[in-house]
Amino acid sequence: MKTLQFHYHMEIAFSEPVHSHIYTLKCLPQTGGTQRIKKCVYRILPGGRVQEGTDSFGNRMLYGTVEEEHSLFLVDVIGTAVTDVRDPDMPQNTPDSSIYRYRTPLTQPGTRIRELLEHCRKRTADLSLHDKALVYMEAVHGSMQYCRGVTDINTTAEDALALGSGVCQDYAHILLALCREDRIPSRYVVGMLTGNGESHAWVEIYDGVRWYGLDPTNNVPVEDSHIKISHGRDYQDCSINRGVFTGQAAQRQSILVEVTENGGTSAKERNDND
Amino acid sequence: MQNIELTRQAETVNELLARYGVKFGIYKNNEFKEQLFPFDTIPRIIRKDEFAYLEKGLKQRVMALNCFIRDIYGEKKIIRDKVVPEEFVYISSGYLAPCDGVLPPRGIYTHIAGIDLVQGRNEEWYVLEDNLRVPSGASYPMIAREICRRSSPVTFETYHVEDNRYYAKLLRRAMDYVNTGGHTVILTPGRYNAAYFEHSYFAEKTGAHLVTGSELMVEDDYLYFVDYSGRREKVGAVYRRISDEYLDPMTFNEESVIGIPHIYDVYRKGHVALLNAPGNGVADDKGIYYFVPKMVRYYLGEEPILQNAPTYLPYYEEDMRYVLEHFDNLVLKDVAEAGGYGVVFADRMTAQQKADFIALLKREPRRFIAQEVIDFKDIDIVENAKRVPRKADLRAFVLMADEPIVWKSGLTRFSRDPDSFIVNSSQGGGFKDTWVLSQ
Repeated sequence: MKTLQFHYHMEIAFSEPVHSHIYTLKCLPQTGGTQRIKKCVYRILPGGRVQEGTDSFGNRMLYGTVEEEHSLFLVDVIGTAVTDVRDPDMPQNTPDSSIYRYRTPLTQPGTRIRELLEHCRKRTADLSLHDKALVYMEAVHGSMQYCRGVTDINTTAEDALALGSGVCQDYAHILLALCREDRIPSRYVVGMLTGNGESHAWVEIYDGVRWYGLDPTNNVPVEDSHIKISHGRDYQDCSINRGVFTGQAAQRQSILVEVTENGGTSAKERNDND
Repeated sequence: MQNIELTRQAETVNELLARYGVKFGIYKNNEFKEQLFPFDTIPRIIRKDEFAYLEKGLKQRVMALNCFIRDIYGEKKIIRDKVVPEEFVYISSGYLAPCDGVLPPRGIYTHIAGIDLVQGRNEEWYVLEDNLRVPSGASYPMIAREICRRSSPVTFETYHVEDNRYYAKLLRRAMDYVNTGGHTVILTPGRYNAAYFEHSYFAEKTGAHLVTGSELMVEDDYLYFVDYSGRREKVGAVYRRISDEYLDPMTFNEESVIGIPHIYDVYRKGHVALLNAPGNGVADDKGIYYFVPKMVRYYLGEEPILQNAPTYLPYYEEDMRYVLEHFDNLVLKDVAEAGGYGVVFADRMTAQQKADFIALLKREPRRFIAQEVIDFKDIDIVENAKRVPRKADLRAFVLMADEPIVWKSGLTRFSRDPDSFIVNSSQGGGFKDTWVLSQ
């Protein structure tokens, strides 16, 4: 168990002022699984009047319309998360896992995915579902080179694997394609990782009892250094920001995530829980 | 016995239909063309007792379909009880995950259902397809009737035909029943849509506003119609004639410019009714069609009154064997296609085409259904002043308000090509009025 302070910052800079900017954000981490969110505040500038809702995957949404002209759109989410909580009473968010067994256009397998799966199967014959997924994770990690700029949000798992390089999103899609080809319910997760950087993506698999996080980019099971924001069938269901606006402007989005361990207060908070 | 006077007036009627803009838009080679929807004056006549039977069966079928959609996006009992295999639901292109857990106003999904039937030579009726997304076509027999009555009043003095012009009242009733408080609008993608005539006709006849996406906006979780002066009026019901994917770029296709951003979030919170409900495509999937009689038994505990055309799912090994053994007698349908596309008759394939198709079928068994070719009962049309028999189907309309209501008419479409079984208007077919006799 770890207590982490997080700060998610996103900004969109427009080359020209835009107006009637309509947005939906899925940027709020929630208590569930193995994480407990103790405090969470957000600020959207300019945000107009912000509405809250929940999508069909269980993710929280913030949405609204900015009527006035603006050249900068800022989102900050700041809070405290306790990770790796092993508490059977935590909400598990598993209304039905079946939908996560089925492929999506981004996770559609092709020959490369099937080859990799065949290769793994030599080692997975007698393994439990969870251990199989660990083998797949290792295989994805071993088949890919982390490299920015070679793939984009529309790159499929099959194409990324053929390319042999990509970012966390591609690693996650390949692992999803492998798991689903093997009928293991698995979902795409967007979240934050300790340290400084961008948002991160990984995978959760369902073994019939609970969901386990697997981070194929780092080749580790998710324990106490990941904070989950949202989940869905693939990247499409989890995009942190969707928006339309009026104006002839180019946009540049930048994301800064800061997650630090707060050793001092962690012990105290544990006492509060007792 | 025939309505000679009406047939004599055929030209007048078609001229009037053209003048009223009864057209069907089609895209061919990326070009939009409007073509007239040819009308044949010989009606399809359905006896009173025969229609009573159809009516009972149609109500039952649509009730079961509504239960199914509600279950799929809710408890999923039919999957858990293994009546419908889950892959048929989740791989269906009509299944929309964002609809999961969202209950529409009054629990109605299938406000307007268009059920396609054919009558075999044995006089038996078979359901060919359930259209539950945005079924179109009711406006054509409505306006045709109106014009026929004017062109040949004597015909309607001689025959006792149920008036069909009350469809607008039914539609209004279905819209009002689910309205959450506010105006009723008909949302059209615009005049380049195949069914634009129908959108404007329904708006005129029901008194609803005809609007495009740019005239609607969402503010603080409610939907508003913005008029030319900038005044806003709250909207409580949207009869939308655009497909699910384009409805809301914030939830569905991000590229859509004809939808309304956040309309789905308003709907999710129960602040507006959408007719038909998004996600209905899961029940009008050709693969799911196979299971409709099972749904009737499962949800209503009744025996289905209407029957499906004999259908096989190559997904089941037993059915695959049957399909391979009787391949030449069957019609194969790609479950992902609509509008008469992706339908192939095995007896018209070359040996090579057959071999290729069977290979594809074995590779993707879930993608196809196979059906016995029904020997349709032909209906006469007038061509070059002669009566000639043609294949025809019947689209019956079932509207859902506090109870399901079957419109006492329907769209009869015929194939103009004597060798074709495909009657879809997008494939150049024509239409007839459908008379339900009142005595």
